[in-house]
Amino acid sequence: MSDYLHIQNIHKDFSGLKVLTGVEFKVTEKERHAVIGPNGAGKTTLLNIISGKFKPSSGAILFKGKDISGKPPNVLNHYGLARSFQITNVFQELSVFYNVLAGVRSHHGLRYNFFKMPDHDRNICEKVESILEDVGLVDVKDQPASSLSYGQQRALEIAITLSTDPELILLDEPTAGMTREETNQAIQMIDKVTAGHTLIIIEHDMEVVFSLANIISVLHYGTILVSDTPEKIRNDQRVKDAYLGEG
Amino acid sequence: MKQKIMPLITIIALFLLGIFMPVILKQYHLNMLTEIIIFALFAVSYNLLLGYAGLLSFGHAMFFGLSAFVTAIAIIHIPGLSLWNVILIGVGAAVIVGFIIGGLLLRHKGSYFALLTLAFNALFYAIATKWHSVTGGDDGLSITRPGLDLGFTSIPLDSLTNFYYLTLVIMGAAIVFCWYFTHTAMGKTVLLMRENEERMKFLGFNTNISRLILFTFTGALAGLAGVFYTLHFQFVSISAISPDMTTAVLLMVFVGGTKKFWGPLLGVFVYIILQNYLSNITDRWPLVIGVIFVLMVLYVPGGLSDVIMNVWQRFFEKKDNNGGKSATAEEV
Repeated sequence: MSDYLHIQNIHKDFSGLKVLTGVEFKVTEKERHAVIGPNGAGKTTLLNIISGKFKPSSGAILFKGKDISGKPPNVLNHYGLARSFQITNVFQELSVFYNVLAGVRSHHGLRYNFFKMPDHDRNICEKVESILEDVGLVDVKDQPASSLSYGQQRALEIAITLSTDPELILLDEPTAGMTREETNQAIQMIDKVTAGHTLIIIEHDMEVVFSLANIISVLHYGTILVSDTPEKIRNDQRVKDAYLGEG
Repeated sequence: MKQKIMPLITIIALFLLGIFMPVILKQYHLNMLTEIIIFALFAVSYNLLLGYAGLLSFGHAMFFGLSAFVTAIAIIHIPGLSLWNVILIGVGAAVIVGFIIGGLLLRHKGSYFALLTLAFNALFYAIATKWHSVTGGDDGLSITRPGLDLGFTSIPLDSLTNFYYLTLVIMGAAIVFCWYFTHTAMGKTVLLMRENEERMKFLGFNTNISRLILFTFTGALAGLAGVFYTLHFQFVSISAISPDMTTAVLLMVFVGGTKKFWGPLLGVFVYIILQNYLSNITDRWPLVIGVIFVLMVLYVPGGLSDVIMNVWQRFFEKKDNNGGKSATAEEV
């Protein structure tokens, strides 16, 4: 049986600066895989490569046996990948509803149609409403994104990521900058909305990682130090030395 | 509900008003009105690029002028060509050129896009000026309007009134379609790309293809306006394809305002009337229009439509801090 997602020996140089030097790990279907590592370990670079924002300098990414490395993000989205951004990346001027509508209609094939009005399609509107319900933004759906609180903007970020109904979800520090209380709510929400999907989450916050992930990979100086279950990671001496011990 | 019906009532009212205009207006003014309607489509198509997609093009006149010339050349060289085929050939030329140039430009945005469109416009202008045997060079080309063949009957278009009605129907339909377009999936895609192109890519949109489609579409609309420009004046000269024509449409759109769909319509109305009256008074009318443009950029950057909206909100709508914001979001 071939693996669901296989990150194969990924290297990335930025004009001589070697950020990733042979990243290798596997993700099985429906797994919740966290990638942790100290600042500057290359976590976001890795996510940018998997999601198609950057091309790897070398290596391959096999998604269901097919090499998807270097494919543009819009194509990867059609394969069923979606990502969120560490720095909130929404449509600030648009209402919450229209923010989510963009992805839902894309998934329904309404991207370049010259005649159909997507907000008149009942299926699409119902899907938007149900996503907003899941992330808890239904009450503010008519407000522009720019008027939301920080926590709500982060929830909107997740809602947009879910809007194209992806099977593989990549989250880049979804709780960055949140208070403890907001983080706890966010963990519950993410846990609920990503149920049944494959999840790769990049995170700084150990509480988030240990409560969401069932496999953790530790990225250290551009390579994966170890990939294992949370319990084993917690007791791994190398991880303690490299990362957990320091904090 | 009110919001859905209002535009429909406005459209019907404007058409009805248009129908009675030949009765009310003198020939001279009807002539001006025909010109306004033709330029209205040109300006609306330009605003789809500038106002909706956020693409500043300095080459929109190349489509307008190209179709204007192709129309004249086709009528001169192909005897018995029907009006429909003239329109088809004229718009077809704009579509082909829009697709090719759009394909070359699609990776560029901002000032690179602006400068490259200017360069292409200059190229077309040079061809029109130098290729004397085909385009007539500085002398331009004169034509006679073909009649309108409706299959069961044909209507001569020698009289201005008949041609005015044809212009009203076809330009009007095209403008209404542009308005409709801003509400469709593609129209929203273009708008969202202006807001956040990166996110659109991650949502599965091919933003390069979207830009190419929009560029070709707005080029075709400008081309349709160009066809009617030649048919209206029964003459085309290099001024139709010169960079000055791009500047003119930019001024019209800017005077009216880019934020509202009807902004450019208002802008064209004001610009052409002003131009007609000023040119009767002085040969230096571009100077006056230039000064008006500078003053507007400095003091009313949102254009006349913005002024009207502000006045409207002050007198007719209750002050509501949140209301203003959510209204813009809804409109989008």
